[in-house]
Amino acid sequence: MALVIRSSAAKLAASYVLLGILALVLFALPLSYAWRAAVNDTRVQILTEDSQRLADIFKSKGPAGLADTINERVGLQIAGERILLLADANEKPLAGNVPDWPAGVPKEPGSYTTPITLDGHPTMVTLVRTELPGGYNLLVGRDVARLAPVTTRFWYGLAAAIAVLLVTGVVGGILIRRALLFRIHSIRQTVSAIMQGELSHRLPTGSSSDELNTLSLTINRMLEQIEQLVHGVANVSNAIAHDLRTPLTELRSRLEELSLTRPPPGEAFAEVEAAVADVDRVICIFNALLRLAEIDTGMRRSGFVNVDLVDLCARAVEFYVPAAEIRDITLTYKNESGLLQTSGDQLLMAQAVNNLIDNALKYTPPGGTVSVSTMRPSGEAAGIVVADTGPGMTDVQRARATERFFRGDASRGTPGVGLGLSLVEAVAKLHGGTLEFADQHPGLRATINFPGTT
Amino acid sequence: MKMLLVEDNERVTRFVTKGLQEAGHTADHADNGRDGLFLAASERYDVIIMDRMLPGNIDGLSLISALRQSGNQTPILILSALADVDERIKGLRAGGDDYLTKPFAFGELLARLDALGRRTRQDGTVTTLEVADLRMDLLSRKVMRGARQILLQPREFKLLEYLMRHAGQVVTRTMLLENVWDYHFDPQTNVVDVHISKLRQKIEPEPEHSLLRTVRNAGYMLSAE
Repeated sequence: MALVIRSSAAKLAASYVLLGILALVLFALPLSYAWRAAVNDTRVQILTEDSQRLADIFKSKGPAGLADTINERVGLQIAGERILLLADANEKPLAGNVPDWPAGVPKEPGSYTTPITLDGHPTMVTLVRTELPGGYNLLVGRDVARLAPVTTRFWYGLAAAIAVLLVTGVVGGILIRRALLFRIHSIRQTVSAIMQGELSHRLPTGSSSDELNTLSLTINRMLEQIEQLVHGVANVSNAIAHDLRTPLTELRSRLEELSLTRPPPGEAFAEVEAAVADVDRVICIFNALLRLAEIDTGMRRSGFVNVDLVDLCARAVEFYVPAAEIRDITLTYKNESGLLQTSGDQLLMAQAVNNLIDNALKYTPPGGTVSVSTMRPSGEAAGIVVADTGPGMTDVQRARATERFFRGDASRGTPGVGLGLSLVEAVAKLHGGTLEFADQHPGLRATINFPGTT
Repeated sequence: MKMLLVEDNERVTRFVTKGLQEAGHTADHADNGRDGLFLAASERYDVIIMDRMLPGNIDGLSLISALRQSGNQTPILILSALADVDERIKGLRAGGDDYLTKPFAFGELLARLDALGRRTRQDGTVTTLEVADLRMDLLSRKVMRGARQILLQPREFKLLEYLMRHAGQVVTRTMLLENVWDYHFDPQTNVVDVHISKLRQKIEPEPEHSLLRTVRNAGYMLSAE
């Protein structure tokens, strides 16, 4: 992993440096070309104008006059005026700063940039050759090399820029690699710790919103989910081990006793039926646990549809009214909110509401009241409230009510396995909601809160 | 009724075939998907009982899909250990008519098979249902016992309608929960019994002429006898 990062950081730095150099060169080449062209053109133009002026002097004052002017100018020692030469038809010098007609000067009049031999050295010059009346030749030229230091400096500058780019690239690459490696390394350490079973570890995160931090946050959320699932599985396994053992023990002893004592058929069949009932109890616990596990994984979220909470509660109440009547309990439903719809799992929500009502009926003494209501406490939130006039719960009981297989003292002697409220809470959680209990002196007030409804 | 059981577990097979025979049905058996498909396609059955996980290449669901695609409309009850709600939906979507999860009570299976087998013979356009002197008019939603009109709540009406449509058959509590209340879960209460006894009070003022009987270990049956 480190190797990959190392090479990828280096690659990244290298490619940036290369790109920078390429951009610099592409920028410098046209610039240098344009600059050279512009300098050369200007030079030729100046030389041509100069020749023109000298030719005018020649026309008005004759060869001797021009020779005087030229000698006068050579005497001024104007820097850069490298070649100023008047020669006769046979290229024999008459006046100027060059003693001999330089070799390599083209025969035809015109402007040239060409190497010629000057003082015995080959020199690159720009010159203008003009033919004056009477076969006289005028040569005006400048040494190109005079600007060479500027060009050289330009290239030196370019090279220096490239060097700076290279250094920053390498240093930047190293720094980036270090920073990345440092964080990757800490992530790797945490992940290895997690792989060893330390599920509570979390990746270090900062407050910045860079990619690595975002990734860490996402991974942390995933770890939280995993931890929750693992704990869920562990809890369920413990619960199964603990609570299935009781009915299984009963079943086993019943069957063993049956096979040992071999009672008469009538008695035996009664025992067999009791054994079937034991098995049914085991299956029942089993199903409830599987349903809880199914909810806990959150898989069922994919099948969410629009659920009408008012209709759902009304139907649940209608379902339980006859049973309540028999026990002389008043079961009522009141909707205080108008339309209440939410995206959810119809079946699970119905089961959750039914469980709450069933629970309330179980603990409410005859003559009591169980009132179900739907309300909208604020904005988009919705609440399903089931309030009873039973004994309520103590603080300890309230805290443990949704624990799997927890049964309060009041529930001794009533049917049930202690998974009803666990399911309600799991369903609420699945829908992003909560299950809350409150004391309402007397009785218990259970509320399922759903966050997003319409 | 003539039934086909496609099931690979020997013990379940023995338990179901024996029970069906005792109830007066005949049952053929296939222990893999290929034989099951062959039998289902070549013979005429009233109901097919289908396990989902079968040995060989053809599982229960693809077998059902194959049958339905070839135009075979025999009612199929899926018998499976896959109990998730989603699995149930998958089974019904593939073309199954009912879904029962293992482990199951034989009474439940028998009652559901009866309901499925009769359904094919029932005329879909009935407007009145009659059991002895109990009459239900589905259009005007009136219920009469002899000359006396019985007033029912909407849910009671639905409950009685279901019982009357399955007159002479055992109807289990789970079947009632699923079909009358649309509750596909076990509420773990005797609430259905309470509803039945309330209904009984309304339709049977004199208990000696009882039409609605409780069948031990199974459910209820509405019949003229």
